[in-house]
Amino acid sequence: MKSIDKIMRAIAFYTALVIFLALLPIVLSYALGYKIDYKKFKIYKTGLIYVSSHPAGASVYINGKLHNELTPMRMEELKPGTYKVEVRREGFYPWEREMEVRPNMVTKADRIILFPIAQEMQKVAASEIADFAISENGKIYYLTRYGLFKSDLDGGTLKKLSGYSEWPKNIIGKKFSPEMDKLLYFDKYKVFVIQLDAGKTQPKGGEPAKIGEVFVSPDLIVDVFWYPGSNYIMVVSESDIKVVELRDGALNRNIASIYKFNSSPQGVYYNEDAGILYFTDKKSGALSNEDRCLYKLELKDNFFENMMRMLVKKDTDNGYEKR
Amino acid sequence: MKRDRFYRRLFEIVPGALTWGTIIGLFVFAFIRPVWVAIFVIVFDLFWVTRMLYLTTLLVFAYRRLAREKGINWIKRCEELKPADGLRYAHIYQAVLFPVYKEGMEVLKASLDALIHSNYPKDKMIVVLSVEERAGAEPWENAIHLSDLYKNKFFHFIVTRHPDNLPGEIKVKGANATWGAKMLRDFVDSRKIEHNHVVISCFDADTCAEREYFGCLAWHYITNPDRNRSSYQPIPVYNNNIWHARSIARILELASSFMQMIETMRVEKFVTFSSHSMSFKTLVDVGYWPVDMISDDSAIYWKCFLHFNGHYTVIPMYVTVSMDVATEKAIIPTIVKQYKQKRRWAWGVENFPYVMMGFRKANKIPLLQKIRRAFNILECHYTWAVWAVIVTFIAPLPLLFGGGLFRQTTIGYNLPSVSAALFRVSMSTLFIFIFITVKLLPPRPPDVKPQKRIIMILQWFFSPLVAVVLGSTPAIDAQTRLMLGKYMKFQVTSKHRHVPK
Repeated sequence: MKSIDKIMRAIAFYTALVIFLALLPIVLSYALGYKIDYKKFKIYKTGLIYVSSHPAGASVYINGKLHNELTPMRMEELKPGTYKVEVRREGFYPWEREMEVRPNMVTKADRIILFPIAQEMQKVAASEIADFAISENGKIYYLTRYGLFKSDLDGGTLKKLSGYSEWPKNIIGKKFSPEMDKLLYFDKYKVFVIQLDAGKTQPKGGEPAKIGEVFVSPDLIVDVFWYPGSNYIMVVSESDIKVVELRDGALNRNIASIYKFNSSPQGVYYNEDAGILYFTDKKSGALSNEDRCLYKLELKDNFFENMMRMLVKKDTDNGYEKR
Repeated sequence: MKRDRFYRRLFEIVPGALTWGTIIGLFVFAFIRPVWVAIFVIVFDLFWVTRMLYLTTLLVFAYRRLAREKGINWIKRCEELKPADGLRYAHIYQAVLFPVYKEGMEVLKASLDALIHSNYPKDKMIVVLSVEERAGAEPWENAIHLSDLYKNKFFHFIVTRHPDNLPGEIKVKGANATWGAKMLRDFVDSRKIEHNHVVISCFDADTCAEREYFGCLAWHYITNPDRNRSSYQPIPVYNNNIWHARSIARILELASSFMQMIETMRVEKFVTFSSHSMSFKTLVDVGYWPVDMISDDSAIYWKCFLHFNGHYTVIPMYVTVSMDVATEKAIIPTIVKQYKQKRRWAWGVENFPYVMMGFRKANKIPLLQKIRRAFNILECHYTWAVWAVIVTFIAPLPLLFGGGLFRQTTIGYNLPSVSAALFRVSMSTLFIFIFITVKLLPPRPPDVKPQKRIIMILQWFFSPLVAVVLGSTPAIDAQTRLMLGKYMKFQVTSKHRHVPK
């Protein structure tokens, strides 16, 4: 090997060696969380704070001092102790917390959610609204004194569905049917159903939606649920649970009382996916009204259809009533 | 004898035990002491980056030297030389020995044509084709045919058949080369040519020497006062079929060329590799190539090193010999072929027990030199086997198995970012590799599309992936086999040349 190559190689080797030896303490101390104070020839332990926020890009103040980086960020080589961390972003409520930095450890303020400061409200619809309902397919239905209207979520493409305006004064609840083709609403004693796709089945010139009272309860209504298929509703009143079959004609509608309460229920919950109705009731013969149990009623597939078929076949009054 | 066997097994076990000890140790410690493993990984990564930078610098030096010496007319230089130790250029015979197995006619023809195109006087060249008997009739018939074609173009053309199952031999290339060399000796002695005047080059069947190769070899041989205590190593490039090879194979072979170029700058560690040359006198004195070792190319160096009590060196020559990239048409067979070839190279670890056993008896070699050389062999094979495993598989283990507490520590938090930063620094060396690749590429054959040049550049960005698959595993495989005493058999890398339409 030529001597010049030998010299060049020696230079390269010793340069690499020096780089390795010089970088080793720096890289290791950085990774381990040690800080070298070159002036005092002292090594001390540090910790670090990691901050991330949603939305990202927020400013971070540590002990009141603004840090250069925006979230997600990390502040390194912090001496162990307590630090006041503030996360700020314009248009959002600030976040702050006292954080303990321990030696060689990471203190995380991870996934902080910054809540926006309320912006100026925007008017979606100007008409006199009695009530409204928003469907899962992104439509707003307005129950107004001028009729029933429909629009997009931002109020655009407003369309009148019906001129009906006899809305009850105190609507307790509203529920879209599973197939999104009907909307029920109810007050203390009455249940109404809006058929949202009525226009498809009516002759031309008819209104797109059809609204009708489907059930009047003698007792106070607690809740009303849809049964899968959009053809039956369950009306839970203080005295019983009734199933109401929905047909075009309001008369001659099948109604079955499937359970009679010993005392008015305190809570009702219907799991649509499993088809199970949960409710509380007093044990039969119990003296105290407080002595309640939780019951469940499994409304398996075709439960109501079978029930109604039996009803028509027997044509008796065994707990079922006809209107 | 029993003691010798014990020591041999011990030295066979050491490299594999070190490798497996490291891998298993790091794996276990990743569970019980993740911080220690994380520190080790960072130190290793930093060591690897600085090593990469250092080696790449040496590669640049070697490339500059290669480029500088490319234009030299070595024959002219030889002619201008004054006699050294009574030796003159006119005395030198170049013997080229090709141990042949089943390599096709087109492969051998290209290698012989390269000799014809050499500017060395053909009346001073002897060619030996030593064909393995067990390869069957066809290679032998090919050799006879080639002899008919070329015998009048050289001083002499020897075709010989290496018998199978000679006593003391195993099925290795070194046995065939030794047979061929013995036939050459018979011829040289019959013509009363001094062994000292013959330089022998042992070439793989696909080796095409460049035009100036033999002139350069003769110059180095004459001017080297220790000519008989030296081997002469060209730079192997894999240009024969590089344009038609699969990317994965190209990357690996180019990396091996680069490694050889780097090694030329580290003469004290330099060992013969693949096609190489040496004094015929030396070859005869040391008793030819080992006939029972797979890695005959490096083993002959160590045989000479032990024979001359450590006074043996390898002289780098900045001329190239071109060979075939081990490739296939489909990707999976290419990977398998490359894997087997790299495992055979990694089997060079068999030199460790061979050298250590030699060192036990070689009292004249200074202890420090023994330690340094043994360490060189061990370090080379150890880092080959563990580096890719550490960088890719061990590095994430502390985070995976270190538990929540480790992840809350600063080192647990910093480990991925520090490793990634060091990896990015090491990737910067790729630009040098790309530059040298482009410079070393042979002209594009007419049947290859021009856009393949772009692939030749982009292929390097897949090198980390290739390193994971074929970086460490062949070396671990070879070391494990040696450790368990399951000795490898020589597997010839088949050579099929692409014939343009």
